[in-house]
Amino acid sequence: MRLLKILERLLAALPVALGVAVLAFLFLRFLPGDPVEIMLGDTQVSQQQITALRHELNLDQPLGSQLVHFFGQLLHGQLGTSIVKNQSVSALIGGALPATIELTLATVFIALLIALPVGILSALFQGSWLDRVVLSGALLGVSMPSFWFGLLLILLFAVEAHLLPTSGRISSTLLVERHTGFMLIDTLLAGDLRAFLDALKHLVLPALTLGVVFAAVLARVVRSSMIEALHRQYVTTARAKGVKERSVIIKHALRNALIPAVTVAGLQVGELLGGNMIVETIFAWPGVGRLVVNSIFARDYVVVQAAVMLYAITYVGVNLLVDVLYTVLNPRIVL
Amino acid sequence: MSTERLAPTRRVAAVAKPVGAAWGVVRRVLRRPVGWVASVTVAAYIALAVLAPLLAPYAPGATDLAARLTPPSAHHWFGTDALGRDIFSRVLYGARVSLLVGFLTVTITSVFGTLLGAFGGFLRGPFDTVTARLTELLQAFPYLIFAIGMMAFLGPGFWNLIWALSLKGWVEFYRLARGEALAQGATEYVEAARALGQRKARTLFREMLPNIVPSILVLGTLRVGYFMVLEASLSFLGVGIPPSIPAWGSMVAEGRNVLFIAWWVSTIPGIALLVLVLAINLLGERLQEVLDPHRKVTS
Amino acid sequence: MRRWKWLFILVLVLLVGVASAKKLSFVLDTTDNRADEAQAIAAQLQQIGVDVQVRVWKSGVLLDAIKAGSRQAYTTDWGSAYFDPFDLGIPKLTTGGRGNYSFYSNAQVDQDFKVASTTTSDGPRDAAYKDAQQQVFQDAPWVFGYVLKNIEAASNAVQGWGPAADNSESLAGASVQGGNSLVIGMRTDQIITFDPAMYRDRDTEAVLRNMFDSLVTHTLSGEVVPQLASSWTKVDDKTYDFTLHSGVTFQNGDPLTADDVVFTFDRILTPGAVNGETSPRAGLLGPIDHVEAVDATHVRFVYKDPFPESLLLQALVHFQIVPKAYMEKVGVEGFKKAPIGSGPFQYERGSLDSQIVLKRYDGYWGDKAKLSQVVFRMMPEPSTRVAALLSGEVQIIQAVPPDLVSRLESAPNISVKTAEGTRAYQIELNNKTAPFNDVRVRQALNYAVDWSSILDNIYHGYGQRLSTAFLPSGFGYDASLQPYPYDPAKAKELLQQAGYDVN
Repeated sequence: MRLLKILERLLAALPVALGVAVLAFLFLRFLPGDPVEIMLGDTQVSQQQITALRHELNLDQPLGSQLVHFFGQLLHGQLGTSIVKNQSVSALIGGALPATIELTLATVFIALLIALPVGILSALFQGSWLDRVVLSGALLGVSMPSFWFGLLLILLFAVEAHLLPTSGRISSTLLVERHTGFMLIDTLLAGDLRAFLDALKHLVLPALTLGVVFAAVLARVVRSSMIEALHRQYVTTARAKGVKERSVIIKHALRNALIPAVTVAGLQVGELLGGNMIVETIFAWPGVGRLVVNSIFARDYVVVQAAVMLYAITYVGVNLLVDVLYTVLNPRIVL
Repeated sequence: MSTERLAPTRRVAAVAKPVGAAWGVVRRVLRRPVGWVASVTVAAYIALAVLAPLLAPYAPGATDLAARLTPPSAHHWFGTDALGRDIFSRVLYGARVSLLVGFLTVTITSVFGTLLGAFGGFLRGPFDTVTARLTELLQAFPYLIFAIGMMAFLGPGFWNLIWALSLKGWVEFYRLARGEALAQGATEYVEAARALGQRKARTLFREMLPNIVPSILVLGTLRVGYFMVLEASLSFLGVGIPPSIPAWGSMVAEGRNVLFIAWWVSTIPGIALLVLVLAINLLGERLQEVLDPHRKVTS
Repeated sequence: MRRWKWLFILVLVLLVGVASAKKLSFVLDTTDNRADEAQAIAAQLQQIGVDVQVRVWKSGVLLDAIKAGSRQAYTTDWGSAYFDPFDLGIPKLTTGGRGNYSFYSNAQVDQDFKVASTTTSDGPRDAAYKDAQQQVFQDAPWVFGYVLKNIEAASNAVQGWGPAADNSESLAGASVQGGNSLVIGMRTDQIITFDPAMYRDRDTEAVLRNMFDSLVTHTLSGEVVPQLASSWTKVDDKTYDFTLHSGVTFQNGDPLTADDVVFTFDRILTPGAVNGETSPRAGLLGPIDHVEAVDATHVRFVYKDPFPESLLLQALVHFQIVPKAYMEKVGVEGFKKAPIGSGPFQYERGSLDSQIVLKRYDGYWGDKAKLSQVVFRMMPEPSTRVAALLSGEVQIIQAVPPDLVSRLESAPNISVKTAEGTRAYQIELNNKTAPFNDVRVRQALNYAVDWSSILDNIYHGYGQRLSTAFLPSGFGYDASLQPYPYDPAKAKELLQQAGYDVN
């Protein structure tokens, strides 16, 4: 029954993803700059060659049939070929995705590490100085422009203190064979502890930049839902029954308080998985976000188109996942 | 929830005299030190921005190549940038861009989004279905890609930026207004109005919209800060405000190349932005405590 | 009554005067790397009542707009790898030339360039170039700019390496104290290809020249010296013969013969020869007819029109010889995945947009490389490169921003090194449309920009003014021609003559 509901939601999500694909397609067709000219660059080519290339890329067709062609390719699982890099888009995105996932996981880890204890403590001591510090800290985090915060961290930890590297995923002196694309795993697979630590160091600053902002959002949610849960009937009842305070907090309050936190975390993860364009740009993190920014600037619309679809699908998928997680955490909710 | 929703009589009464009501809200916002400090900060920024031509010791575009990248000093309070321009003066002028972008975008998106959402939620029908689907699409379209793409299309420029931000920014207001309209469509006073044979438009504008205003106001305040950060992010990437206009985001970007030798170029405009956004968000939270204690907006 | 009439006429005249004398105003397009300079120039022009809006573009997109003729004034740069105006002045200033983004046209200049590129003796070529410089100076099609030194930096542990005028990074002779590998931080975000027929940029060439040999090569200062060709002779004005070294092998063990050389040039000169695509490199060779093998060790270059020997030699530096048999066996795609050359280093692994790892080719015919491994790492962010060098992550970096030189010089174990630059930077003007179809306006701008202040302050003295579009390191440079001086009064006067208000 529940499975059926999920399936129904999935089907309902499909038109959204499709709509975004069309929107992305149309949107990018109206950007100025001729992709064919960019492709041929500074070379001397005949008009004939330009025409041929235009035909090859299907750019000489009316918009409608371009769109049909685009979806036809999609059905065959083909995202097209990058105009600028002359590589298949799936390879480009597939190559960038592990970097983004790695950064996302690290971000979530840092955010949970900060937000959970801080949020719970400040809920338990609601109104205390601790609570007030947490609340103002959280608001500061929410207001933080990430491009500036990232630069500040670079300035402090890389430029001044020389503790951490400024950018990239691993020092260039270390060569790690790509198996999974996840630097932390690949270095371990290679049995190279030095490289693993090096990769970890590279991960710290970008993950911290994203993680602190994320933690601020999360801590607020954890705090408010924890406060709400602590005032609920079942918590009062449990207390009245003489259940130990620690057990009350963990078993009864926290479990229910986690539901909104999961929602917020889920949605944020969805956004992060699409790659954070700003942070990936600042830290030269070779993920999807940086790929998209560079592609937009280079008018490489095939890549942008695919990436936007990836975003939309992730967004829809994560929304779905959050709903499912809801039911796991609280079986009383029916989808 | 239903008992709380039954407050409308009081709320309608409150908006009957808009000026008096607004004054009451302001007084309540200012009652707590947080509201007070935040309001003063925002007011100070606005004052500095308006008075920038009088206060700035240098013209914001005046270059002095011989004095480039000088650290903060008595002559240049915040130092100079790579063209020898006075960062203090540029920060003052930069406040104009941030404030204008923030408030203009919020004004445009809130009016448009609220009207569309309220109409849709109130009238239902095919119009509502179409706009609801459209917002779903827009929501799944990542904001920054959308904005960068739009700006790449339109080219850098102040109004271009406002349009690029507004084209997607109305969605949140739409969703809030529509949700409220749907909920209120079922409440007693709207039903009563219907029963009394009031015209639809009259019900919408006289009964429903005024009740949505407080939530929209809270959301609007919080969105001001959001749009400011978004503008700065776009300018940072070089697709926002053109370089001839001083803007905090592009100032941070300009300092990025000289981070090694001149920390002040990037950091100071960023602090200016952070403090303003923080103050606006504080104000938004305080406003929420006063107007929307049940947190419909952020949850 | 009469008095009123006169007053009326006076007011009218004043009004007409004010209305007709308008300010000169235009958009100056630029890219990230020169945004500071453009804004400084805009501020200087403001001083003489010229209204300039700076617009910062992403480079590829700007070039499109320029070529479409829709822009007015734009910062551009153009590199010359020939030490001869053949690939600078000629493409940029010939009517309809490949790089003529200013739409400049002067029949006498065209004639001069024709003489210089088809005459084989130095005297007339030199005279032709000098005349062209005089013409161009008077016409002022651009706001003439400057040439920047190549500033690179390396750890003191690196020996046997230096920056080259043509941006090549020859690592064959390099060694590192206490190590046998080296990482170089490249200024680009990606190189184009491993196929020597299919690129046109210096960064790709910098990597490829370590993997492949050419018939001749450059010293660091740009002098041509033998590489695969041990000697050459001029048969006549249109024919040159090259003798190949014997005993040269490709990295797969195949011997390098005249057939490989002919194959290399055939696939560049024949349209559609590379999997249906045409090499962008053919133009570099001038009016060539074909290349043929005389015997296994002799190759002949045959031209349609007379072509100077110096130009041919300069060109051949940039053509890497590929193995015919291997290329035919694995195909172009296979070759790009596993390139084989005859150079001191051979491809090990990597990708074009992150890092490329080369290892020493132990069967190299000449002096074998000292290092066993070299890594080319793409680091487009200047500050990232500098940080990586400071932290010891890389040993050499390209393109140090002048602002960061002092930071590197203060580090104890790092040296900043420079080479003569071969790239001209300028502001090109659209000569075809108003306001820059008026020579007075163009000259006025040349007088109005205070280049020495920009070069001293923004570029910390690493730049040198150019009088026109000709480089001091190039053949036929007229050292007696002084650049336009900074003279705002003169600029105002010219603008007023052209009908602009300058107050």
